[in-house]
Amino acid sequence: MSFSPRKTAFTPGSRAPKPRSGGTPDNPLAAELTRVLGPTKVLSTLSERRNYRYDAIQFGETPLAVVLPESTADVVMAVRAARAAGVPIVGRGAASGLSGGAVPMQTGLVLSFTRMTRLEVFPEWREARAQAGVVTLSVTEAARPHGLIYPPDPASFRTSTIGGNLGENAGGPLCFKYGVTGDYVRGLQFVDADGEVHDLTRDAYDLAGLLIGSEGTLGLITEATLRLSPPPKYTRTLLASFAEVGECAEAVSRAIAAGAVPAKLEFMDQACTNAVEDYLALGLPRDAGAVLLVDTDGDDLDTVEEERTLVEAACREAGGTVRRAATDAEAAALWQARRSVSPALGRIRPQRMNEDIVVPRSVLPEVVREIRTLGDASGLPVVQFGHIGDGNLHPNILYDPRRESPEAVHALAHAIALVALRHGGVLSGEHGIGTIKRPFMREALDSVTLGALRDVKRALDPAGRLNPGKILPDEERETHAHP
Amino acid sequence: MQHDIPVPALGPQGEVMAHAVDACVHCGFCLPACPTYALLGDEMDSPRGRIVLMKEVLEGTLSLADAAPHLDRCLGCQACVTACPSGVPYGELITSFRGWSEPGRERSPLDRAKRAGILKILPAPKVFSVAARVGQYAKPFAPLLPAALRAPLDLLPERVPAMRPQPPVTPARGKRRGRVAFLAGCAQQALTPNFNAATLRVLARNGFEVVIPEGQGCCGAAALHTGARDEALRLVRQNLAAFNPDDYDAILSNAAGCGAGLKEYPVVLHGLPDEVQARAFAAKVQDISEFLAGLLHAGELEPFLPTSRPLTVTYHDACHLAHAQGVRAAPRELLRAIPGVTVVEVPEGDLCCGSAGTYNLEQPELANELGVRKARNILSTTPDLIASGNIGCHTQVGSHTRRQGSRVPVLHTVEVLDLAYRGEL
Repeated sequence: MSFSPRKTAFTPGSRAPKPRSGGTPDNPLAAELTRVLGPTKVLSTLSERRNYRYDAIQFGETPLAVVLPESTADVVMAVRAARAAGVPIVGRGAASGLSGGAVPMQTGLVLSFTRMTRLEVFPEWREARAQAGVVTLSVTEAARPHGLIYPPDPASFRTSTIGGNLGENAGGPLCFKYGVTGDYVRGLQFVDADGEVHDLTRDAYDLAGLLIGSEGTLGLITEATLRLSPPPKYTRTLLASFAEVGECAEAVSRAIAAGAVPAKLEFMDQACTNAVEDYLALGLPRDAGAVLLVDTDGDDLDTVEEERTLVEAACREAGGTVRRAATDAEAAALWQARRSVSPALGRIRPQRMNEDIVVPRSVLPEVVREIRTLGDASGLPVVQFGHIGDGNLHPNILYDPRRESPEAVHALAHAIALVALRHGGVLSGEHGIGTIKRPFMREALDSVTLGALRDVKRALDPAGRLNPGKILPDEERETHAHP
Repeated sequence: MQHDIPVPALGPQGEVMAHAVDACVHCGFCLPACPTYALLGDEMDSPRGRIVLMKEVLEGTLSLADAAPHLDRCLGCQACVTACPSGVPYGELITSFRGWSEPGRERSPLDRAKRAGILKILPAPKVFSVAARVGQYAKPFAPLLPAALRAPLDLLPERVPAMRPQPPVTPARGKRRGRVAFLAGCAQQALTPNFNAATLRVLARNGFEVVIPEGQGCCGAAALHTGARDEALRLVRQNLAAFNPDDYDAILSNAAGCGAGLKEYPVVLHGLPDEVQARAFAAKVQDISEFLAGLLHAGELEPFLPTSRPLTVTYHDACHLAHAQGVRAAPRELLRAIPGVTVVEVPEGDLCCGSAGTYNLEQPELANELGVRKARNILSTTPDLIASGNIGCHTQVGSHTRRQGSRVPVLHTVEVLDLAYRGEL
């Protein structure tokens, strides 16, 4: 069978001098890595290392060395060197994550995948093979000429990488109808804690499924085979405004109960709308307590229009007003606004504590109202937005450490997490547990289940060298029954 | 992001810098917008990385020498500002930081001489004109010279035109609509005198008397962006003295870099007694395309003559117009107002061409890569004409498209409008 895979790269083979650490690296690990990988793939000066200690939510420890691998073989060599030196390893993509997943909690080695950008599209099989550093959106860009797209669309898709998406099992607005990253992975390659390479498919034990969402704690994903699908022929967009968030949640429940399956069902509350309006000036309704942004799509225009009508009726019944996007450009601008919400919150306070809870749709109105009430009572700015169709909400507590007490913020975050758990929900829909929700894991999982997760971790990373300090809380006197 | 920048010790410029760092939530949305990140793919060469580095130098936990190579590679194109949902004024941060840090930089005598030379020659049209003429004779020997000398020679056009005197006042033609002041710019007076001539003709045709105030000088952007803050302050104050905003309907510039510089005056003077004066001045500053588009919207722009044949005009966004000043629609609307013109977009249009003020001379390799990429992207649109609104882009795009074998004319937007008025398109 002959095919000519289309190759694209985000980082072209630049002939410009790659940054290199001048002189002799000042620690044995960096020196050894430089010896085996050469100077252009290893960063060891302080200014270089400082830049690899954060993601989009927090700062951690400055690594001893950073490796920018260009192939799986480079990853293997880096892992072996780190193992020999006895230091932990943290994988990192674009570090746009919001749970601390790529943040080093101990000094060690950071592996930054941003230069592993090989991408091949196989239209005959509706597949793409992407290295970990490929930017999410570029998969769709490469697939489009073949009449295909890669549906997972996290808000950060212009920035984030496939490796990071797999590590956190990222979602995105399309998740309601099309699913999340894990639903599009046919196979993946990873390097384990010993530096061995494994190629996994989804049959037998679904080890690939285990690696997806494991936040770099079980192995380092180097490549993945992704499923592509043809885009829908028609998409229709609407924006509904409500007096308060509860009404918005009611509209969602009604629309879904009426049989609508929109492609995207997203909401943002008043503070979010105002923050993105400050950025983009699109004429969003600043006075609305909440807005709902909806796409209906499909290959049959009548059905798409009918679904939109269903959603519109549900919104009006819940007390909302509806505006249709007249053009593709207007729809695109609305979605740009939605994707900008999270960072735009920086206009309100410099720091935030973000949550990623998922609750059953039946309790959505109660949950958003409870969180609203908690926020109002706390005196801290609390905003809510997210993939409300999936019941995946992002309550964000905004604060300035110079004005507001981090303890109060943490206490409120805990209270919000408990609201989700009390209503039969979970802590993380798409951003991962990382460090941010780790303190609440004991309340989210019973000790037997937590024990099972520890067994998995021990099986794949017995020495605990991969991304320590994430997901699983430190072991206390947890006893769990071995059968 | 959280920081411990000692603002009181740093003074008003420290306030500017701390405010920018405060606003950044390190989300990474700026990464794909950044040309150096696109080329190098590492965090230190991204806007987010640079903000962290600047923060830590300001906090005193990182040495300036350690951070400098990455900060020096920043083009100052501000594509990250467009991409930033949090509203981080990155341009203000890097400019203020360069001014604050320059006295503490260790530079070789050769480096110092080169920088001093640039700042002496560039802002002085007469000196620049002589230098350009000398350079023309050296052009054939360019391949034999070191890169530092080769870069500026590569950018020189084949023929450096003669300087033209600039009338201090150009009277309005026809019905007089008002009076505007014009900043004549520096290098472009020597390299491309038709930019200004066309600007004066187009404004006069639309009923505006154009004054080029006596005593004006360089806008100061080159000094400001290379960290020569004292020199920049001198130039800023010289211009504030030369232009009285109350005397004019608008203060116009036809160079994106200069216009952005003029609009930055309040930031440069933040916390100083003449900040108020700078605000009044900056409120009147417009790019020529903004001003003319305002007339177009009001239905007051003199109509253009149609082109002799359908023309594809590829419009190149100058970073200092699109990103720094947010002027994108105006030049496109004006070009589209010419009957027979189709405006087409450049793939990767948001990516800087690599000229970026003095960047071409400071970082020749990266500038060259970006220039090659920009020219390839522009030529992929098979244009009849290439239009842009900045002298730096003009020379960079011109030299790179010619190097790729293209003979397509590269013009300033206002030159295209001028030709349309004369019926010569």
